[in-house]
Amino acid sequence: MFHRILVGLDGSDGSRRAFDRALELAQLTGAAVHVLSVEEHLPAFAGTVGEVEDAQRFANQYFRGIHEEASALASRHGRALTHEIVPGHAAQTIARRAREGDFDLIILGHAGHSPLHNLFLGSTADRVVEHASCAVLVVR
Amino acid sequence: MDSNVWLVAAAWMALALAASLISIRVGVSVALIEILIGIVAGNFLGLHSAPWIDFLATFGAGLLTFLAGAEIEPDALKRHLKPALVIGFVSFLAPLLLAFAFAYWVAGWDLRASEIAGIALSTTSVAVVYATMVETGLNRTELGKLILAACFVTDFGTVLALGVLFANFNAWMVLFVGVTAVVLWYLPRLTRYVIARVGHRVSEPEVKFVFLVLFLLGGLARVAQSEAVLPAYLVGLVIAGVFVRDRILMDRMRAIAFSMLTPFYFIKAGLYVSLPAVATGALLIVALGLVKMGAKVAGVLPLTRLFRFDRREGMYATLLMATGLTFGTISALFGLTNHIITQAQYTILVTTVIGSAVVPTLIAQRFFEPGIPGRSDAAPGPHQVTAAVATSAD
Repeated sequence: MFHRILVGLDGSDGSRRAFDRALELAQLTGAAVHVLSVEEHLPAFAGTVGEVEDAQRFANQYFRGIHEEASALASRHGRALTHEIVPGHAAQTIARRAREGDFDLIILGHAGHSPLHNLFLGSTADRVVEHASCAVLVVR
Repeated sequence: MDSNVWLVAAAWMALALAASLISIRVGVSVALIEILIGIVAGNFLGLHSAPWIDFLATFGAGLLTFLAGAEIEPDALKRHLKPALVIGFVSFLAPLLLAFAFAYWVAGWDLRASEIAGIALSTTSVAVVYATMVETGLNRTELGKLILAACFVTDFGTVLALGVLFANFNAWMVLFVGVTAVVLWYLPRLTRYVIARVGHRVSEPEVKFVFLVLFLLGGLARVAQSEAVLPAYLVGLVIAGVFVRDRILMDRMRAIAFSMLTPFYFIKAGLYVSLPAVATGALLIVALGLVKMGAKVAGVLPLTRLFRFDRREGMYATLLMATGLTFGTISALFGLTNHIITQAQYTILVTTVIGSAVVPTLIAQRFFEPGIPGRSDAAPGPHQVTAAVATSAD
């Protein structure tokens, strides 16, 4: 069964559902859960260092709040939880982090984009499925 | 509408607000978006500058330069002084000479216009480099700190060239150099004293003190026919250590700069880019972009080998040092404002500079991104924490 589960958590409803499923699975299997949030929109081609630092600080504050909620929820379920915030491209970072950390399952929420968006841009989940070296569960 | 300052200000601020919103939405630097919006406004909306806008834009450029100097990590520069000095200097000199030579002998620009071309393309964008390295975590490694320190040296070369090449060497220059030297010597102590005695009040005496120094030295630089960004960068460098310890002051300076000053600078920088000149000068834009990248590769890459970067790290560092944005546009706008270059030449330089912010970054990220140590599960980064574990169920 699964030993190490990586959950992508960006604060969206879909990612929160994914986190709930991760906790349920962890309770069933005894797997460790690691929450990963990706700071995806740091300003590219920045004009000033301050611009990047401010964007990063803002993203960190937002994700720290989400991680506190996740930790509290995990505690109520009696589960251990690790979490981290990493800057980068979401799909690439999740797939790479799963590889680096020897995770055997990635759980992601379905973003609920329009069919047109998915046709032209694809979703983060699509790209992770394509690039991941382990099993991926997409929660609707 | 031109006589109604409020409506003119409203139009400019609407563009600045639009740039902020677009920047947040698409995740691209607000500076770049402001330049692009300026290009659209100048070419299609008939927007033009006014003396009070020119002042805000000039002040914005000065404050940007000051902040760029103040953002250096003095300890990192000291730790990597030798490689940072050598790599940074060559990274400045090689494109300066090659871009100058290309503009003068191949493109047929006159001597002073070619000098502006050399200076505008000698730069490295510390901000572009920093943003790229944050995404990979490289900014936290010693390699990343060395690359950033070298970028500061490169930009210092650019600012120095801009301040010296077009200056008048007369009694005013002696006065400017003398006053600047004395002010820079006492400034760190004086700034610390001002902050300790009257800092962090609602009347912001420490901010006013820094502005006073920037205005005074900028004014003396102008009298000597030099450029105000030179003392601004030097002031930033010498009080960087104070700013590192006082994040509140840094945040306040940034808030003033980004809300009220730099939008006027970047939008104005885009305003003078002529789209027809981009079309007619497309080949020259590509050629100058290649000259800049080629010069950086020829100059910096061998040095990265000398300082024992591995092959991938060396190419990554070299490409990052081939980026440029803020100082490139400042140099080009200096040339246009002082009638050293024409609007067509300005267009070519600014478009090349914008291209240099994007193309080397994408190549570096796509093909040469080094592996980042310390990112495994066993070695938590600064944002990685382990949550408290509740061993008993609710």
